[in-house]
Amino acid sequence: MSSDYSNIKDSAPIEHRFNPYSDNGGTILGIAGEDFAVLAGDTRHTTGYSINSRYEPKVFDVGDNIIMSANGFSADGNSLITNFKTNLQWYHFNNNEEKLKISSAARLIQHLLYGKRFFPYYVHTIIAGLDENGKGAVYSFDPVGSYEREQCRAGGAAASLIMPFLDNQVNFKNQANQPLRYLSLNEVLSLVKDAFSSATERHIHVGDYLEILIVTKEGVRTELYPLKRD
Amino acid sequence: MFLTRSEYDRGVSTFSPEGRLFQVEYSLQAIKLGSTAIGIATSEGVILGVEKRVTSPLLESSSIEKIVEIDNHIGCAMSGLTADARSMIDHARVASLNHNLYYDEKIQVETLTQSVCDLALRFGEGVDGEERLMSRPFGVALLIAGYDDINGPQLYHADPSGTFYRYDAKAIGAGSEGAQAELNNEYHKSLTLKDAELLILKILKQVMEEKLDSNNAQLASVTKDEGFRIYSDEETGKIIQELKDQEDDDIAEAS
Amino acid sequence: MAGLSFENYQRNQFLSSKGYAVPKATSTGTTIVGCKFNGGVVIAADTRATAGPIVADKNCEKLHRIAPHIWCAGAGTAADTEMVTQLISSNIELHSLYTNREPRVCTALTLLKQHLFKYSGHIGAYLIVAGTDPTGSHLFSIHAHGSTDIGYYQTLGSGSLAAMSVFESRWKLDLTKEEAMKLCSDAIQAGIWNDLGSGSNVDLCVMEAGKDAVLHRNYLTPNVRSQKANNYIFNRGATVVLKEKTIYSKLELVSEEVIISTPEERPEAMEVDA
Repeated sequence: MSSDYSNIKDSAPIEHRFNPYSDNGGTILGIAGEDFAVLAGDTRHTTGYSINSRYEPKVFDVGDNIIMSANGFSADGNSLITNFKTNLQWYHFNNNEEKLKISSAARLIQHLLYGKRFFPYYVHTIIAGLDENGKGAVYSFDPVGSYEREQCRAGGAAASLIMPFLDNQVNFKNQANQPLRYLSLNEVLSLVKDAFSSATERHIHVGDYLEILIVTKEGVRTELYPLKRD
Repeated sequence: MFLTRSEYDRGVSTFSPEGRLFQVEYSLQAIKLGSTAIGIATSEGVILGVEKRVTSPLLESSSIEKIVEIDNHIGCAMSGLTADARSMIDHARVASLNHNLYYDEKIQVETLTQSVCDLALRFGEGVDGEERLMSRPFGVALLIAGYDDINGPQLYHADPSGTFYRYDAKAIGAGSEGAQAELNNEYHKSLTLKDAELLILKILKQVMEEKLDSNNAQLASVTKDEGFRIYSDEETGKIIQELKDQEDDDIAEAS
Repeated sequence: MAGLSFENYQRNQFLSSKGYAVPKATSTGTTIVGCKFNGGVVIAADTRATAGPIVADKNCEKLHRIAPHIWCAGAGTAADTEMVTQLISSNIELHSLYTNREPRVCTALTLLKQHLFKYSGHIGAYLIVAGTDPTGSHLFSIHAHGSTDIGYYQTLGSGSLAAMSVFESRWKLDLTKEEAMKLCSDAIQAGIWNDLGSGSNVDLCVMEAGKDAVLHRNYLTPNVRSQKANNYIFNRGATVVLKEKTIYSKLELVSEEVIISTPEERPEAMEVDA
């Protein structure tokens, strides 16, 4: 638009193009303990200002004591997880039903993501489980496969709200008198609940329910808590 | 005898009325013309040993390659048309490297062996999507030795029919019949790596036409700590000497 | 200086063409409604203010007083609804003084729509105006470009469809005050629960002919935050002292008093958010 006030004669032509991506909101959070790991996510599924579902789980037990979530564009997230499960099945066929290590799962996911380098899965992926020594492990990925093992990681819509809280409460950043230590499962669970109820307060795409998946050497367990629905 | 077969041994993928694939069976015969190769799996690791046919005094014996590395934890010995082994080894090396790339771990020895055997039947017409790679079956058999954390030290025998079996001890090649009989007699579960080295050389000595020395025999081992390793000529020579001393002792004792 | 200043317009256009993003105004996500009843009119609003996907204010006020008997619910750009309402409120009061008459709702409506039309939509105010005056009770809505609407019930904002669904299914003629209040608060709740741009509490204002307008601030509070699992009081010494410096003053010590102040005794000092 040009007017007396504008020095721009013609703004760029309007381009009409199909956008294959959308954002379905939601947030996920993974924390590793000494002999356990948790991966939690809210269950609200949104587009824009609308709620599509108040209970659409996005953290999954994918087998071999590994839990996985891919947050962002949910169609891509579901597709990635289905692909991973297929690849896991093939791994079992090819390797005598051998259990896939969490480090191998992470490497496999890197290749699934990088395989779509130029049409990426629009997701922030986190997996959690136990490593070969039985220690809790959390791996997080960017949309094109860069990955890292971490003690904790938040992903999705309210990641920027939760991550600083985690830095302070899990890794004791900016707390001079706190030596680093493993948190107990109960400590971790209460941190997760507070992180999500707080994110629900301040982020419109987070809410409805909190689903927490917990991995121990006994297997995967699920807990469900209500969050605010406004 | 050959007259009765002749109608059905032309096409590589044609069954005879009795249900046999003659070209594949012939390829098995090709291995029996090859130099002898022996493998023994012990609880400490796997030993491979091969006979090298030095056909001329002018031949540089170090250029005869019958034991090769596939990856740090897997090696293999061959017998038959060794040129055919090239593509199998290439395939195995790629499979092992790819597994490490995709899964950040060492490939299992059995998985690797299976992947090599998948190649064996890629002759004849191409099947949906799979390219026809070869005009005839392989003329080579492999002894694949390796170590992995799940199944420990392992020895596999892969032949041109695409089947493979795990062995405690296996011999292939021209002298395989006698060698295998000897292995059956001598093998026991508590064999040490050292015992296996001596046993392989002892058997090679029996089945080889030439006199055994460090020029016409080669050893290799796969262990948890050292991975795959081909013995130097000096090392092999030393063990041959040891074997000789032992035999001399035995003779002395007997007399 | 009165009115709007455009002196930075060209500079800002240049800046945005260089890739400096224009700062985002807190805005839009809102549910506001109004409904007439026998002898008056009710307006209501939610109390969530958003900046993009972030909740900027959990308990803001979207009901504005234009005159004692004329109130207005605002959606759109928060600053615009606030300022345009204050401006017209002033003009209405001057007009009332000048004419020595009670202000009329239709006057406020005309003033608002003419002002908004003049700015051709750049002032992002979407309003529901309601009130009582000597001619009766009235309910209008105004869009940012200056168009207006009259009706027995009105909804505006991102939650307007959710709210309208309540009116379209349950509204009837000759509502009582209580029925109208219930209908309006239910309409706002439809927005609170189903529209992500709306949330927190219900504010409601009842304007009855011949009576003072009654503002029910936080008429409903269905979204009280639950108790946190942990408390987050830091241990003494959590913050490192990087540098210490004492400034000596020449003041003489006359008397000394020690006031013990621990977080336990002053619970309001602990509140991290709110």
